[in-house]
Amino acid sequence: MATTSTAAPPRKWWQVPRPLQKVFDTFPLLAYDVNALPARAQSATSGDLPTLYVFSTEEEALLGAPSFNPSCLKWQAFLKLAGVKFQILPSTNHASPTGALPFILPARSSPTDVPSPIPSSKLHDYALKYGTSNPPEVSALRLDAYQALLDVPIRNAWLQALYRDPQYIDLLDRFYITPASSSYWVRGALRHQLRRAAETEIRKTGPGGAASTALSLLVDEHSVYRAAVKALEALATLLSESKTGWFFGAETPTIFDASVFAYTHLMLKYMSDAEGEVEGEKDFILASRKLGIMVRSAGSGELEQHHRRLFELLWLADSNAELLDTKARGNKLLQVQLQA
Amino acid sequence: MTLELHVWGPAFGLPSIDAECLATVTYFAQTLSAADYLLVQSSPSAVPSHHLPALYNPSTATWISGFDPIVNYLSTLQPPSYHHPDVTTLPSRVYADSQAYKALLTSSAAPLLALSLYVSSANYSETTRPAYSAILPFPLPWTEPLAVRAAMAARAAHLGMSSLDTDAEMERLEKEEREREAAGWVQIPRALRKAVGGQNSGVKGQLSPEMKRRIKLEGLAAEVFDVLGEVDFLEEENGEEEEEDKEGRGRIKVTLETKCLAFAYLALMLLPDVPRPWLKEVLQRKYAGLCEFVLEYRRKTFPESGKVLPWADRESDPAVSACDSAFSIVGRFVRAVVDDIPMLGREWSRWWALRQRRVAEENSTETQLVIRRSVGESERSLLLAGAGLTLLAINVVGLGIYWYRYRGLLGAPLQTWHRPLVGLGSFGAAGAMFAGLA
Repeated sequence: MATTSTAAPPRKWWQVPRPLQKVFDTFPLLAYDVNALPARAQSATSGDLPTLYVFSTEEEALLGAPSFNPSCLKWQAFLKLAGVKFQILPSTNHASPTGALPFILPARSSPTDVPSPIPSSKLHDYALKYGTSNPPEVSALRLDAYQALLDVPIRNAWLQALYRDPQYIDLLDRFYITPASSSYWVRGALRHQLRRAAETEIRKTGPGGAASTALSLLVDEHSVYRAAVKALEALATLLSESKTGWFFGAETPTIFDASVFAYTHLMLKYMSDAEGEVEGEKDFILASRKLGIMVRSAGSGELEQHHRRLFELLWLADSNAELLDTKARGNKLLQVQLQA
Repeated sequence: MTLELHVWGPAFGLPSIDAECLATVTYFAQTLSAADYLLVQSSPSAVPSHHLPALYNPSTATWISGFDPIVNYLSTLQPPSYHHPDVTTLPSRVYADSQAYKALLTSSAAPLLALSLYVSSANYSETTRPAYSAILPFPLPWTEPLAVRAAMAARAAHLGMSSLDTDAEMERLEKEEREREAAGWVQIPRALRKAVGGQNSGVKGQLSPEMKRRIKLEGLAAEVFDVLGEVDFLEEENGEEEEEDKEGRGRIKVTLETKCLAFAYLALMLLPDVPRPWLKEVLQRKYAGLCEFVLEYRRKTFPESGKVLPWADRESDPAVSACDSAFSIVGRFVRAVVDDIPMLGREWSRWWALRQRRVAEENSTETQLVIRRSVGESERSLLLAGAGLTLLAINVVGLGIYWYRYRGLLGAPLQTWHRPLVGLGSFGAAGAMFAGLA
């Protein structure tokens, strides 16, 4: 039975017994300072610069080279356009909070700071906020229509070529399969999965455009490529009307230029023969199934020219200065990794 | 030469229930004379490409499917029967815009239409499903509309509006509840839950899913219609030359095929009489120009009186009656059922569809259209599907024998009767008395 006293606060019957209370009172014995993150984490995740995580290889990421994934490359190009300083690191979809690359990890302001990642849907605002030069906004309703050209025919052709075309099996392996696993069986399963996923994506918009039922799986590659040729032609026409050489007559390149560049760059780099003029019949170009050649022959070469200008602007202009910088940073990174 | 155009049948007062098919019929009605083609009411399982619309050219035994490929193919045909719309004289700008708008229609208008007619449970069960039942021969309405609905739901999945599908929503809730029960969570009895403020009470409970999502749905629709509204679809009537001169960039002009496609999507949004008409209301309220275009275009292309679409006669036409025979219908039905077997069914259907297409390609005499197969996967999947199906069959048969033989499903296979032993116990009370002694 508990006794009550007027001086002490009223004790309740469920109060912790005094001996136990004494034991608990001694805790915490000592509070340590928060551990610093491993030294490697500083430079490998997010150092003094924000880090953009993209599909890439270790070496290319050190050099800041263009990613080999169209949506990653689009944002990489746009961030560069906006004048955001960032480094890139190779990653996979599993690392992303949204399940898809790219995402950006802002720079850490203090060693214990935990910046939250920014997914690709918010990258546009991020670029405008932290960039030094604001790319102009395009306010044309036609923009949506031309964006659809990239989203449907050109994307389908890219998926068809990379994932389903036998002539690019090596490319697919190099991009997505070999880095993921060294096991023969796992690679085989992965290849199969990717191919099916690509097929499902293409089928969503169908051989003629509309959704088709599960059985019309037989993606008709001929019409996929034909649609891509027409789409590229349309983009080239649009570009030829612009006086500034950028889409919709903008003074400086916009987000739409970056999206187009993402596809044309990859197509020209990986899916065309060696440099040189390609003159041929339309049917021959179609039959070659090489998207790079299709880009080059669209219109009167506007797209290739657009690609070259943008590439020079973004990658070659400051390459000398940046190359040294990235190399220095790379060395530092290696040293830190060795120490850790 | 008579081309056969296989399409989904008519519905909602339009020649076809499917947007792409409708666009193709509209295009044919304007570029071909009715004597040069035949419309065949069909379903995807009846054509080798498993996709409608499909065009069959009997003179070369060639199948083409999809709106774009068909339009392309028509342009390779020779006049006089085919009236080429003049593409070459149009400025290249019009051509580029048309391509862009065609892509926009397939990328954004198609998911909207899918939401309205297929994903929304109320609209689907009240309007779309009966329409399909009316145009398909008997057992096929059990399989085909389901496949179409699944494809359409996948088409609209990225819009995040799956809650319009109340069937799926209920299923999900029930599954969650079962899981909770299995995990041993405390359950509030169903009767109590309602009183406490469950799903069905209050204003929110009374609203249909479409009403709850109304604002977002209207936003989605507006995004598409705003862009489409920029196009001058009805240009012929308004004197085309003047507007162009007046201003450098007037309203956007598009080619005939884009108009057909736009008409098809908009008509299917506007004309069907659905119980949850949100899409129709948005169109009628804010986009009078687009509505006018639909009605005007329909009046012009499919006049009430006047030229009739050349539908094939079911009885008289040999090509049609062959694919409509009872035997082929049962075959199509069985294939659809097999396709629903988990895992293996799909593999088998893939193989079957590939084979059918290859046969069609080999029969075709037009060499330029022969399409390479992608990555030698057909052989492998054939082996896989064959082995899998055999294994499955052996398993099923074995399981059946096991049940029959050992589990006594129909009673034990061998019935034995034992003669009761005759002992002292069987001699009544006296016997029992002596049994202890024995």
